Amino acid sequence: MTALDGIVGPWAGGDENAVIVGTGELAVGEHPQVIVTPALGSCIGIALWDACRRRGGLAHIMLPSPAESRVVGRPERFASVAIPQLANEVAEGSTIRRLVAKISGGSTMFGGDGGFASIGERNTLEVKRQLALLRIPLLAEDTGGGHARTMELHLDTGLVIVRSYRYGIKEL
Amino acid sequence: MDPQRLSELQLDALGEVGNIGAGHAATALSQLSGSAVKIGVPDIRLMPVTEVPGFFGGPENLVGAVYSRLLGDLSGGLLFIAPRLDLLALADVLRSRAPGTSKSLGAEEEGMLTHAASVLQAAYAAAIARFTELSILLAPAQFAFDMLGAILEVVTAEMGMQADSAILILTRFETEVVSVDAALLFLPDPDSLDVLLGRLGIV
Repeated sequence: MTALDGIVGPWAGGDENAVIVGTGELAVGEHPQVIVTPALGSCIGIALWDACRRRGGLAHIMLPSPAESRVVGRPERFASVAIPQLANEVAEGSTIRRLVAKISGGSTMFGGDGGFASIGERNTLEVKRQLALLRIPLLAEDTGGGHARTMELHLDTGLVIVRSYRYGIKEL
Repeated sequence: MDPQRLSELQLDALGEVGNIGAGHAATALSQLSGSAVKIGVPDIRLMPVTEVPGFFGGPENLVGAVYSRLLGDLSGGLLFIAPRLDLLALADVLRSRAPGTSKSLGAEEEGMLTHAASVLQAAYAAAIARFTELSILLAPAQFAFDMLGAILEVVTAEMGMQADSAILILTRFETEVVSVDAALLFLPDPDSLDVLLGRLGIV
């Protein structure tokens, strides 16, 4: 958490239940915790939630799969690694059949350059493919566009709140 | 080569390159704005990319950013970032208007600032190219104004990096009436940093 110590906001600063997920990380929690990931750009936040146990998890992925990068680092930054792992950790030995998903992010922050404009879109496609492989239904999404988003998962109701400077607060 | 393990000497060499780049940029900005613009001796720091948002006030902090990708013999990116008020002040300098005239970042200001930042980036890239005798090309600069964390992650995702370092070049533009703080981030991919240091003769 060292990089995120400096964050102060109405959501994280005031709420001792907030769990903050940094870029390329994932976290699992239970009600009354709230899991937050700040500043999604081309990255995608994936929220998985189990209504019966009021338990869920949030992952912040950067790239579709390990084939995208030669640099050794945290494997949870790839959708193809993070999503199965997150599903297992949320299910915690129980079944993943009850899990439902909501996703947000995958935008294009710098318009116009074909070389990297598609990372957000490719992330979105891979996340959906991974969810389909695990047969986890995707209930809602707020993806694409050209703006940054902060995503929070409330574990009592499975509500996902997406905040951005351009569009304000959106509930999924 | 792990950028975290750069020696003092290597950082000094990169700083010297930054200095020369800043000198060229000051000349260019003076020519563009028609008034004398000085750029102070840049403060060079090295930090992991993940700590950059904390340094600038958190990942949700709003900044203006101009990004140019480096192509050719060196690959990586040059990212110019500055807070909103500093961008407005810089727009006034470029326009030779009284400080405080610009109130919002419209399309005109965006275009002007992208232009000025890309001049700064080109000056820095040219200084690196001259020192190392490498061919470096800059892709067209792109502007974004949003959360710093999201801007940085696009740049690092593009290079497929995670736990890597950024070279921060903190610069201050000064005219007779106003000073503007901005940062230039040099994000070389690890192989390119090897090449660069090899060419500077200080591996």
